Amino acid sequence: MRISLRSWFAYLTPLLVVGLCFVSGFAVGADHPHYVVTNDDVPPSLATSVTFYTVATNGQLTMKTKVLTGRGGIGGGYFAANRVTVVDSGNAECVYASDAQTGEIQGISVKTLEIAGHANGSKKDTGASNGIGLAMNAQYLYASFTDFSTIGTFQVLPGCKLKFVSDITVAGLQSGIVDGMVIHGDMMVVTYGDGSIESFNISAGVPVSNGDEQNSTGSRRGNTYPSGIDITQDGHYAIFGDTSPFTIVEVSDISSGKLTPTVVYRLGNALNSSNVLLSPDETLLYISNNQSGKLTAVFFDKTTGKLSKGCVSRALKGFVTDWSYTASLALEKTTGTGGMVYVAEFGAPSSIGEIEVTSSGGKCTLTESSKSPIADPNSPGLLSIGAFPPRPF
Amino acid sequence: MRSAFRYLLAILLCGFSFVTVQAQCPARPDSGTVVKDALTLDSVNGVLNADFTMKHSVDTAGFNHYCYIYDTAKGEVEAPTLRLNQGDHLVLDVKDRIESTDEGETSGMEMDMSGAPVCGDTGTPTLASTNVHFHGLNVPPVCHQDDVLTTLIQPNKPAFRFDMQIPKDEPPGLYWYHPHIHGFTEFQVNGGAAGALIVEGMEKVRPEVKGLTQRVFTIRQQYLVPWIPGPYQLTINFQVAASPSFPAPIIQMKPGEKQFWRVVNATIQDFMPLQVWFNGNPQKLEVIALDGYPLAKPRTQETILVPPAGRAEFIVQAPPEGTQAEFISLGYSTGPTGNPDLEQELGSIQLTSDDGTQTAATKPAQPGPPVTTENIKFADLEKQKPTTLRKLYFSEEFGGTNGPIQFYITVDGQKQKVFEANEKPVITTHVGAVEDWIIENHALETHAFHIHQIHFLLLEVDGKPVPTELRDTYEIPFWEGPGHPYHSIKGRFDFRDPTIAGTFVFHCHILLHEDLGMMHKILVLPKEE
Repeated sequence: MRISLRSWFAYLTPLLVVGLCFVSGFAVGADHPHYVVTNDDVPPSLATSVTFYTVATNGQLTMKTKVLTGRGGIGGGYFAANRVTVVDSGNAECVYASDAQTGEIQGISVKTLEIAGHANGSKKDTGASNGIGLAMNAQYLYASFTDFSTIGTFQVLPGCKLKFVSDITVAGLQSGIVDGMVIHGDMMVVTYGDGSIESFNISAGVPVSNGDEQNSTGSRRGNTYPSGIDITQDGHYAIFGDTSPFTIVEVSDISSGKLTPTVVYRLGNALNSSNVLLSPDETLLYISNNQSGKLTAVFFDKTTGKLSKGCVSRALKGFVTDWSYTASLALEKTTGTGGMVYVAEFGAPSSIGEIEVTSSGGKCTLTESSKSPIADPNSPGLLSIGAFPPRPF
Repeated sequence: MRSAFRYLLAILLCGFSFVTVQAQCPARPDSGTVVKDALTLDSVNGVLNADFTMKHSVDTAGFNHYCYIYDTAKGEVEAPTLRLNQGDHLVLDVKDRIESTDEGETSGMEMDMSGAPVCGDTGTPTLASTNVHFHGLNVPPVCHQDDVLTTLIQPNKPAFRFDMQIPKDEPPGLYWYHPHIHGFTEFQVNGGAAGALIVEGMEKVRPEVKGLTQRVFTIRQQYLVPWIPGPYQLTINFQVAASPSFPAPIIQMKPGEKQFWRVVNATIQDFMPLQVWFNGNPQKLEVIALDGYPLAKPRTQETILVPPAGRAEFIVQAPPEGTQAEFISLGYSTGPTGNPDLEQELGSIQLTSDDGTQTAATKPAQPGPPVTTENIKFADLEKQKPTTLRKLYFSEEFGGTNGPIQFYITVDGQKQKVFEANEKPVITTHVGAVEDWIIENHALETHAFHIHQIHFLLLEVDGKPVPTELRDTYEIPFWEGPGHPYHSIKGRFDFRDPTIAGTFVFHCHILLHEDLGMMHKILVLPKEE
């Protein structure tokens, strides 16, 4: 999940926002960069990279540059591990990306588009099996390492640098490995690959379990497993996209500061729903149907936390023939329903799908743009993308 | 701590072990040569004594070899076929001489063995540890017989002795042996550590095979890079079957000759729909036995589906001269999250007047009481009334591009969990019980159900009655998804024999799944008074 500490700006008057945004870097202006970024996750025989795409006013992507990290990726792994994250806190405009093979986290300056800093965790903090997921706020970056199921805490330093603090070993109730990870305020929520979920308190930096580890309601029924996560702007609900033979999303009320039993929503028959992303106005939840090559949007009521069926795209162009899976999602805009939805398309080479959204009167449409997909020739297995500037929560 | 972690460590060690390991295993046959049967070791005066040494090496192409070595006057041979009669004793001494200079292998992986009883050597199981499972034999689950849960043979220790009596009512047929160290089984079987075991007497039950030349084919599978999903390379009696990349193995037959083929699927994951083609057309095969259990009545079919660990015994009649003939494993879909099983020619049938010096004719029937399908183990099982009905299901979690990441077999109503060495049995029953189990597959991948110690009577497939078959391994196809029912089998499991008392396991016989915990324990308590 992409983080900005300036979410309270959204409550200020439009004039104040406009006035401050040039200082904070929060809004998208002519002198403020607007990118979609990828973690190219190139296997270790070649150096991996992060590719930057500029976003035109109509949402179309154009490749700008490739930033080599000098290290190695693995070209695959968990769908729900966010391998790239961004921070835009006014005086810090950074993209962080993980190198799964070497366990290194790279910090890239958005201003210079160059590597500005990097850090490793402990010896067991590696992700050569299924990748390294990232989540961050302005003070700390958290990395979920899938080899030994550890979560590393890194202090965010000026200039897109990092300093390793410590790591903890985590495990699902059935010995599952850490899969999805997201933070909101003082709370971190993780999923494990065995159907269990857990939250942590990160107020002191290093995560401390809230003692609420539990099997999700869906996983107790069998054959569906929480994977990717998003959290509402007010921190009331955690939303889990499930690895499932259906489109299944589970919602937990976390307003108490702990996970509560999830409510299960079966929202369609498209195969797998591991990646989810709320629209900035929280009216829509976008779901990547990883093994159907489709995108689903469902309606979300941020007051009640309830989901209802919305719309599903056709299979995106090139599915099966050019690429195999859809994975993480990013949005063009930081307001409304987010404008164009971008989805990582895992292939060799990979691509980014562009999907136009309409939503009105309880109905929606998802239509792939005529220029989609946009090639990512730098990636032989794209799973993670992000947007800069990030969604404001 | 987690079996998946052990697996990761193991593949890293296994994948790079060629850097240090010297050749310990014999050379394997070249591609495109005549397929030879393994050396046969027969019981003598009711006893079969043999010494095996487990070794490991890496060939010039980078494939890991794990080999059961038997010393002969002419040198070392690999994985002999063991032949015994009903009631014979098998005395097998097994030494582990897997050499490793890798600290990770010798220092052990993270496996919680606390509280587990020990049979054989102590210490932590590692990639260099081994043991033996006698797959399909209806023998007790106790130390020195067929106990994979506690039997541990460590490198450079004195030989461990297996000493068991083949039950006097053991079904005549084809069984096999292989290592079964939890967490590392796949690596050793992938390396070729598997051999055939035959309980003699098939010709007494099925006179159709009397006097026929027998061929014993052990189909194995090997990968070069374990973290790349299959299909992997098949071998037949250690000869690579990967045509057209390699010349096809040659199976010799006389024109028009009938042979009795006994085929072990010793692959790590391949479901094999077997066929014999003449000029590209599948031929009728006379099926005699499946999983080492003679059919009540032979049947003719063109395709025999043999799941991983299954066996098929059937009569093949060679074509007339001038016919192109092949032994084929067809492609098989294991589902959206399964590995591909591609069509592969296992051998090109060469018509020759020489029937091959490597083959073994069926031995004359042994003296003793006649053996029929009525007086072998489980013959009356169909008539028994079940005392319990259980339901189990396979499921798995698919969270990324590298295939499923959690594998479960769960007793309905219990919490799904992966196998741990020190777990409590998930099923407890008593000697005397006859249980019906329904086993469903909730996963998007086909699984192969296997239970140790006993055969089970297959009653139904997908809720429909099927012809009587006793099996120890059976495939359950993948779930097609929304709107489709789960595929299932229903079997009858016989715990009446007092020698069954003890703890043993059931699992998926795709060995990666087994190693990652798609397995659990069953405890059979002595008969209730």
